[in-house]
Amino acid sequence: MNAWLLQVAEWLYSTTWSRSIEESFYLYNWIETTHVLTVMLSLGMLLFIDLRMLGLTMNRVSAVKIANRLNLPMLIGFAIMFITGLLLFYAKPVYTIQSIWFRVKMGLLLLAFINALVFHRRMTESGATWENEPRAPLNLRIGAAMSLGLWLGVITTGRLIAYDWYHCYRDLPAWLGAVAGCVAD
Amino acid sequence: MDLFSFFLWAESSFLGEIGKTYGGVYATFGQSLHLTALAILGGSVLVADLRLLGVIMRDVPSEVVADQAHRWFKVALVLIILTGVFMAAAIAQRMYYSPFFWAKMTALATGILFVFAIKRPLLKGSHDQIAPWVIKLTAVASLMIWFTVAATGRWIGFSG
Repeated sequence: MNAWLLQVAEWLYSTTWSRSIEESFYLYNWIETTHVLTVMLSLGMLLFIDLRMLGLTMNRVSAVKIANRLNLPMLIGFAIMFITGLLLFYAKPVYTIQSIWFRVKMGLLLLAFINALVFHRRMTESGATWENEPRAPLNLRIGAAMSLGLWLGVITTGRLIAYDWYHCYRDLPAWLGAVAGCVAD
Repeated sequence: MDLFSFFLWAESSFLGEIGKTYGGVYATFGQSLHLTALAILGGSVLVADLRLLGVIMRDVPSEVVADQAHRWFKVALVLIILTGVFMAAAIAQRMYYSPFFWAKMTALATGILFVFAIKRPLLKGSHDQIAPWVIKLTAVASLMIWFTVAATGRWIGFSG
């Protein structure tokens, strides 16, 4: 599995556009800056939705209304995050695919996505009964808290990708090397 | 004590030593937590300003949105300043000589002054009493100022 991922990454690395982005004077930095600053839009909107569910903000406004109103700007933010994230990966595919922090980040993103889908479905089904309460029901508060925790993890692991403390050329324990995607040559 | 001596002292202080010695601590409690605070701060600014501009949540009273967003803005501001001080302490001498660092400090001071001396006093009462163009101008100014703070901050990172 790791060998296959590495092959794909090496192939991506060899494409012209991948080299153009990573080696350009400004482009990589612009893409990266956009990715980091758009966090204010995507996670900023989501934060206020989660805080409302936990009763920590605007609790005299319908929780369902807040979720529905902030949904679109949040998704626009996530679309930009996804596109810029893809480009960042494409610019440094080998380094990134073998970064333990990147792999953990992808796992956390997947969990956050599933959590969001489950949350949205439950909120839509039951929302009419509790939307004007200061706090959402317990199971949805747990979902909101999990959302906050998972995204905190995404931000942190995302930042740590830049650090190569556990990269494959280091002296890693076997299990860590396997999880990080190191392939013996 | 003059400014340069203060920066020297900061770098050799306990806070500066921790940040310099333990890269993991610097990266998580400094940088990542700073980014988290950025999400909260940016989110609170965006929620309030986009509402004031009539872009989002038009059916929620702007007084409520501005008020509630300001509460979390303050939380984020404290966290972002604490983490910022921690990060700067570790590399204080370099920051002293960095024009980008000073650009950001100027922008940050402007932002804080703008929020607490202009925006908040203006928006504390009922918004019906305020001319719509004043509200919109305030929102646009706020967005521009805080975007500048974020951009100059990122620029520090590029100016190694």
